[in-house]
Amino acid sequence: MDSLDYIDHYFERQPSSEEARQFEKRVREDPEFADNVAYYLSTRIALKEMQAGEKEKQFREIYDQMVSQSNHVAAPAKTRLMNTRIWLSALAAAALIAVVVFCWSLFGGSGRGPELAGRYISQNLEEMSVQMGKTDSIQTGLILYNERKYPEALRQFEAILRSDSTNRSALLNAGIVSLKMGDYDKALSFFKNLAVRTDPHLSPALFYQALTLMKRNRSGDTALAKQLLRQIVEQNGNKKEDAMQFLRKM
Amino acid sequence: MRNDNSSREDDRQVISLLMRGGLDKRKGENVLFGRYAYFIREGTRKFGLSEEDAFSAYSDSVLAAVDKIRNEAFKGESSLKTWLYQIFRNKCVDLFRRNSTDKNSINRAQSISEQLLYISDKARSIVQQLIEKADWRLLKERLNGLSDDCRRMLLLWADNHSDREIAAELGFKTADVAKTSRLRCLEKLRRVYNTR
Repeated sequence: MDSLDYIDHYFERQPSSEEARQFEKRVREDPEFADNVAYYLSTRIALKEMQAGEKEKQFREIYDQMVSQSNHVAAPAKTRLMNTRIWLSALAAAALIAVVVFCWSLFGGSGRGPELAGRYISQNLEEMSVQMGKTDSIQTGLILYNERKYPEALRQFEAILRSDSTNRSALLNAGIVSLKMGDYDKALSFFKNLAVRTDPHLSPALFYQALTLMKRNRSGDTALAKQLLRQIVEQNGNKKEDAMQFLRKM
Repeated sequence: MRNDNSSREDDRQVISLLMRGGLDKRKGENVLFGRYAYFIREGTRKFGLSEEDAFSAYSDSVLAAVDKIRNEAFKGESSLKTWLYQIFRNKCVDLFRRNSTDKNSINRAQSISEQLLYISDKARSIVQQLIEKADWRLLKERLNGLSDDCRRMLLLWADNHSDREIAAELGFKTADVAKTSRLRCLEKLRRVYNTR
């Protein structure tokens, strides 16, 4: 058996003790063979490093995209300040939650969910931000959305998801279009899918789930929406300010 | 609050994507990376790393986790999140202790010991000494000089794809044909690497 073939055969599966004994004997007694083993393993290590470099670039794109969708990521130099802020925010959030829970236990829900959600949607989701000069498929979907061509926009985002079911921008925008079209079950499905794929500090998925539940207003929806909004406040999640406002008004 | 069952179900989905290989594996890697990317902030906060180092430690942790999952070293005794965090924490501590930005040197030492698992002590030290003498810059330069097909095939191999998966991804008829081509590429690389 050719040396490289033999070495490959050895490392590609768990060798028996007899195979291992013979292999090691050759390493000890045949310097050229030992050199080939070292070459084989060095190549694999070098390839792994190159592979890791490529994947790191891919991860960097994902991370940068997540960061650009959020205003909750602090610059490294501000870490200590952020720690203090996080603690203060957590304390304020805990106090607010205590007040909200107390009021809620006294007065119960006000049933204002659909109205609040409707107002939020008309104030914040009428138009989506489109990047000038950029013409990728997400941007096309957003342009269709802004032209009120909701079914076409949805088809566009769904087409993206067919080729990449984890595309976060497509999941978020497909959810928003579905919400706008009144297909709340579908919107929830997109937002839930997005929530399991993203960090709650960076993604508004939980907030949009709550918003959709408020708008749908089936039995139990309001309670669940409140639970999600509280979760956002507790975790200092994305759209925390909006979540706090809803909790105050509901 | 998401319950334990749904978290386990999410774990199973990611593991299933990673085990399938090919495009699904890449999707699985991205999902895993995105899901716990907030660890990066933990890295800066708890271990005093720069954001760049924490990002790097997290990327390495995800890749190490993917390798282990594919080698069935993840037994599911804890959640994927807990397990990944342990890997990440160790990477952060390594980076912090060594106070080194040359993460290749840290990872390479680990890679060498992983690769030498199947060799006993005496033979291992011989191979290890030879590996440490490798000219990494030249080896990578020569790898980059290979044809696209060869390089792609070797990268898939180093990414723990089986010959069957390589055959499926690159359109070879059988795993044996893929293996023969892969070994030819390795042979070709050895020739050009040795002409230093």
